[in-house]
Amino acid sequence: MSTATVRPRSAKQKKLVWNILRFLLLLVIVVPMVFPLLWMITSALKSNSSVLAIPPEWIPREFHWENFSVGLSAIDFLPRFFNSLFITVMCIIGQVISCTLVGYGLARIRFPLRKFWFYFFVGGMMLPGMVGLIPVYRVWAGMGALNTYWPLIVPSFLGSPFYTFLIRQFFMGVPRSFDEAAKIDGAGHLRILFQVLVPVIKPAIVTIVIMQFQATWNEYLSPLLYLIDSDKWTLSLAVASYSSLYAVEWNKFMAADLIYMLPSLIIFFVCQKYFMQGLGSLTNTGIK
Amino acid sequence: MQANKRPFWKRDGFIGYLFILPSLIGASIFIIYPLIMTVFYSFTRWDGVNDPQWLGLGNYVRMFTVDPSFPKALQATFLYVLITVPLTMVFGLLLALLLNKALLGIKVFRTLFYLPVVLPSVAALVLWKFIYEPNYGLLNQALALLGMEGRAWLTDPSTAIGAVSAVSVWGVGSMMIIFLSGLQSIDAQLYEAADVDGANGITKFFKITLPMMSPVLFLQLITGLIKAFQAFNEVAILTQKPKANYSTYLLCYSIYDNAFNKLNGYGYAMAQVMILFVIIMIMTFFVFRFSNTYVYYENND
Repeated sequence: MSTATVRPRSAKQKKLVWNILRFLLLLVIVVPMVFPLLWMITSALKSNSSVLAIPPEWIPREFHWENFSVGLSAIDFLPRFFNSLFITVMCIIGQVISCTLVGYGLARIRFPLRKFWFYFFVGGMMLPGMVGLIPVYRVWAGMGALNTYWPLIVPSFLGSPFYTFLIRQFFMGVPRSFDEAAKIDGAGHLRILFQVLVPVIKPAIVTIVIMQFQATWNEYLSPLLYLIDSDKWTLSLAVASYSSLYAVEWNKFMAADLIYMLPSLIIFFVCQKYFMQGLGSLTNTGIK
Repeated sequence: MQANKRPFWKRDGFIGYLFILPSLIGASIFIIYPLIMTVFYSFTRWDGVNDPQWLGLGNYVRMFTVDPSFPKALQATFLYVLITVPLTMVFGLLLALLLNKALLGIKVFRTLFYLPVVLPSVAALVLWKFIYEPNYGLLNQALALLGMEGRAWLTDPSTAIGAVSAVSVWGVGSMMIIFLSGLQSIDAQLYEAADVDGANGITKFFKITLPMMSPVLFLQLITGLIKAFQAFNEVAILTQKPKANYSTYLLCYSIYDNAFNKLNGYGYAMAQVMILFVIIMIMTFFVFRFSNTYVYYENND
């Protein structure tokens, strides 16, 4: 009896000690992980001289908010922001439409070689993206589409293999009885898809919207290849090209960089649920 | 029976193809066509406009005998992959284990560790370039406070590839979040049964956690390898002139450089794409072979 009353307490104490250790360990790791961002924010507010001060001023003595306006105009922010936004919105629309259609086709319509095409598209995920780079570039060059947004947008309307796979897996999880009822009412495929199934798989579509936003907003290599005139540049190009200048004014530049990050940060904090639960569990869906 | 009387454009056999048409076009343009073109042009010298000039194995011979940059590109790429993939996987798993069970502030920790992942890669890399800045970057200033000598991390050939690889640790959150969801899908009963048998934490980790996590680890290993072999932004932005001493001249940068910065370079660049492709295929093959022995799938009992 006596051991039975002692053991849970010692187990509890052990757990408490372990939890305190865990907490401290996480604290030690999280500080250097977050520090660069904090340092970026303080740097963005420093004066020209104090950003170069040694030893560093960890908290700026006076806040130079004008760094933001100077930094933004240095990378010609506003037009590039709208360029990035336009490309991003078009790519999101393209992916959502094309992947929903293909995902539905693969999950719900019976046609010859359906399984083959499914595995073929999934196999496409394994192909290194670098393989397509040069041949596809030459195709666009041949069509005279260099220095336009077509090469950046059109691929999104042709269904990314990963999102297609994702949508198809979600559709497979929806019971057939959902569409049977609509079919009896005489609904065609498009009506079943958009009126019955799309509302059910909304989480998958939101996930695609978020992931595609990040992918396009962050994309560097393809705008670098395709956009020549600087008035067509995206924000990623503007930021990267400013960083390679000889004399960078880091305080102003960090201010501009922070604004470039801002939409991603806002989306992250607003849609945290999707990031922390959704994206993690995605890779586990349908793999087991 | 009734379906057969319908005109063909109303039959599922036809409509199905209409639905998957976007991916069919996409696969032809982005998979089949580039694969064929890459194999063909890798045997030629081509400026992109005029007819390609047949070289046979010339490009492949050149990259291993004449061109000094290619062996260096291979070396830098393998170093980068060998540092970043194990580092992010082990660190990601460690974080996931620490963040798996209830704890004060656990949501805040998870959010903070994931935060760098959502930042645009160009924005984050530019920040790291500032951190590595030799004169007043954060790293050298912090070292100075500790009384240590800083250095030009990104231009010094002995530290450049290490400095570039270290940045990948900042993105460890993406591994962490996937491992975390893997850990949470492990049946708690397994651990309870082990507790009854008096198993300690280390035994539980090696006998339950690792085997149950092996499919997730395996998948992340493959995607991590494919991603690391294709790193481009990291060196294009961090080391402005990766060519200066070729210490961070990653394979994909070399491909880009040969194709778009040099005249007549398409053929040679595509030969390098072939090498990249073959390396990734061999890697994937070996990881799959390896996985037959070590990966545990629940439904294969």
